[in-house]
Amino acid sequence: MKDKDLNQKDRRAFLLGMGAAGVSAAFAGPVLAASGSEPESKWDREHEIVIIGSGFAGLAAAIQAKKLGAKDVVIYEKMPVLGGNSAINGGLFAAPGTPLQKKEGVTDSADIMAGDQMKAGRGVADEALLKHIASRANEALQLTIDAGAEYFPYLQQLGGHSVPRTYQTTVTSGGGITQPLIKECRRLGVKIVNRAKFEKFVVDEKGAVVGAVINEGYYFGRGRKGKPVRVRSQRGVLIAAGGFASNVGLRSAQDPTLTAEVPSTNIPGATGEALLEMFRVGAVPVHMAFIQTGPWASPDEGGFGYVSNYSIFNFPHSISVDVKTGRRFMDEIADRKTRADAQLARRDDEGNPMPPVTITSYEHAKAHPSVKKVLKYGVGWKFDTLEELAEHHGIPFAELKKQVDQYNTYVKNGVDEQFGKSMEKAKGKFIEAPFVTVRNWPKVHYCHGGAQIDVQARVLDSSTWKPIPGLFAAGEVSGGTHGQSRLGSCSIPDCMVMGMTAAETMMSA
Amino acid sequence: MMMKKLGKLVFLSVTVAFVAGAGLADSTLEQFDKIKGRSYHASFYDGESCDVCHETNRATSLPADDACQSCHDLDSLVEATARPAGEEGQNPHDNLHYGRDVPCMECHGEHQARQHMCADCHSFEYPNFKE
Ligand SMILES: Cc1cc2nc3c(=O)[nH]c(=O)nc-3n(C[C@H](O)[C@H](O)[C@H](O)COP(=O)(O)OP(=O)(O)OC[C@H]3O[C@@H](n4cnc5c(N)ncnc54)[C@H](O)[C@@H]3O)c2cc1C
Repeated sequence: MKDKDLNQKDRRAFLLGMGAAGVSAAFAGPVLAASGSEPESKWDREHEIVIIGSGFAGLAAAIQAKKLGAKDVVIYEKMPVLGGNSAINGGLFAAPGTPLQKKEGVTDSADIMAGDQMKAGRGVADEALLKHIASRANEALQLTIDAGAEYFPYLQQLGGHSVPRTYQTTVTSGGGITQPLIKECRRLGVKIVNRAKFEKFVVDEKGAVVGAVINEGYYFGRGRKGKPVRVRSQRGVLIAAGGFASNVGLRSAQDPTLTAEVPSTNIPGATGEALLEMFRVGAVPVHMAFIQTGPWASPDEGGFGYVSNYSIFNFPHSISVDVKTGRRFMDEIADRKTRADAQLARRDDEGNPMPPVTITSYEHAKAHPSVKKVLKYGVGWKFDTLEELAEHHGIPFAELKKQVDQYNTYVKNGVDEQFGKSMEKAKGKFIEAPFVTVRNWPKVHYCHGGAQIDVQARVLDSSTWKPIPGLFAAGEVSGGTHGQSRLGSCSIPDCMVMGMTAAETMMSA
Repeated sequence: MMMKKLGKLVFLSVTVAFVAGAGLADSTLEQFDKIKGRSYHASFYDGESCDVCHETNRATSLPADDACQSCHDLDSLVEATARPAGEEGQNPHDNLHYGRDVPCMECHGEHQARQHMCADCHSFEYPNFKE
């Protein structure tokens, strides 16, 4: 097909899908009016596998489906850019039993990782899913490495994890994974269409999902809805559309404390309409009110910014202090909910937010490349003395000095007498000048809730409790896996493994 | 239609060099009759050349994501906005989150000013950025 024969968005779709075999079928056929009541035989397009969303879950599914012999896989993405939250993510990937753990002599297993997650999930996480994901996390990690993702040669220990098991991409972002995965998709001939918004399912008389209505030429935030196109899928539809942290109405309906006043780390497109559509065809809603805020975010920049990764790396050998008292107020590597709740309680006398200050020795902060950016872009500060630090942030110096000295005895003795923090990663790392500080305040980050799935990524039906034929979900859009509090770096393995799993289920049907 | 576009390429190659090379920090949006546009696109505002960017001269649809690239060479843009060592991933035309796949109009507007996408989360300065 020649470039000029395509209309505007098709031309783009064609470019994105370059290298794809047999694109022509995708552009043939008249456009019909979209309506769930139309006979299902009226299709504008037909594909073997239809995936909604181009994040980790969608990309992993597409690659796995291709590996299993799928000939015709399409990913529809509503945003102008590909990758969703995955592309702006921090690039932190937890997996047990990895080569790096072997090298660093860390004892770990899928059961230990799932156990840590169960604990953070506060008794309501889905053990079967967590164990399934942990048992294949290393394989998922390898898939990203095979596609070209690059990771630092050391592990990190994130809040709530009992051992160091977290890899991080050298670009400290999920973009270091989505970019190689997108390239791999293109190489394998997966069609990827941007500005294409999933609207609704086409369901046959037996209740099976047999296709979807996609609005092609949808311009997010610009009032252009696009043209509805009916797409038939031979092996079903995989919803990999991510969370809904950017939908203030939906999230505050679940948790009224999460109003428009609480910022978010998510892409603006994380609005959850695909999830609501799954509920409309019978999916079971789980844990919709469990919405996580990130305790490493900064009020001094937008979104995830630079401070988040900086803080995640540095919390193990830092102290976080209340500006009013100069005292610590939490275990700096407790799970996210514990820390976010503790931070939200830091207030001035009028009850206004008073973001706590996290203090790190420059000597140890500089081991991570993000420190340069934090200082350069004015979202963190460097001080030669504790006096200067205290003065800049308005912290009572005497109290702060006492706190630092006290904490340094914990570093020496390996026991945090204040909050019981694991001092494993703080060994020998005293809080000494020069110092780097950042301010932390939680931002809405992750939606634990979603549609219920089984370990084969099949979406369950609320009337029969059996899988809805033809409907699959993977990634953040699925619900219940992590319970009340997801551990950091555990979404990437979740999205990747469940995306792979969904593809396997679809291909084996 | 393609022919007409090609006809304009000669003129445009000059523009490309200009945009890619020199920094033009002042505003480039100015009024052409009833519509605002970039000063260096002045020759398109003769009422007949909307199709340089839009599909038809009625300009009812937004330009294709790669419309700008029929005149502006992405490789030269990538080169022109390269960032210093350690900040390679901040190149707006080839960045670590989206590579080279960001449609131009997500950061630049022809008829109205826009903010670059990076600003949603980062305070990078792009002194030569044209809205
Ligand atoms: C800033 C940030 C940093 C993070 N850091 C980490 C980390 O370091 N480690 C970790 O494990 N987790 C991290 N997380 C969480 C993790 O990134 C997300 O949970 C994960 O990326 C979700 O992947 P996904 O594939 O489910 O969805 P996404 O990556 O969000 O992809 C979903 C895609 O579907 C598209 N979509 C939505 N609705 C529709 C529709 N109707 N039609 C068509 N397309 C649609 C969206 O536009 C989006 O592109 C982070 C999250 C954020 C926001």
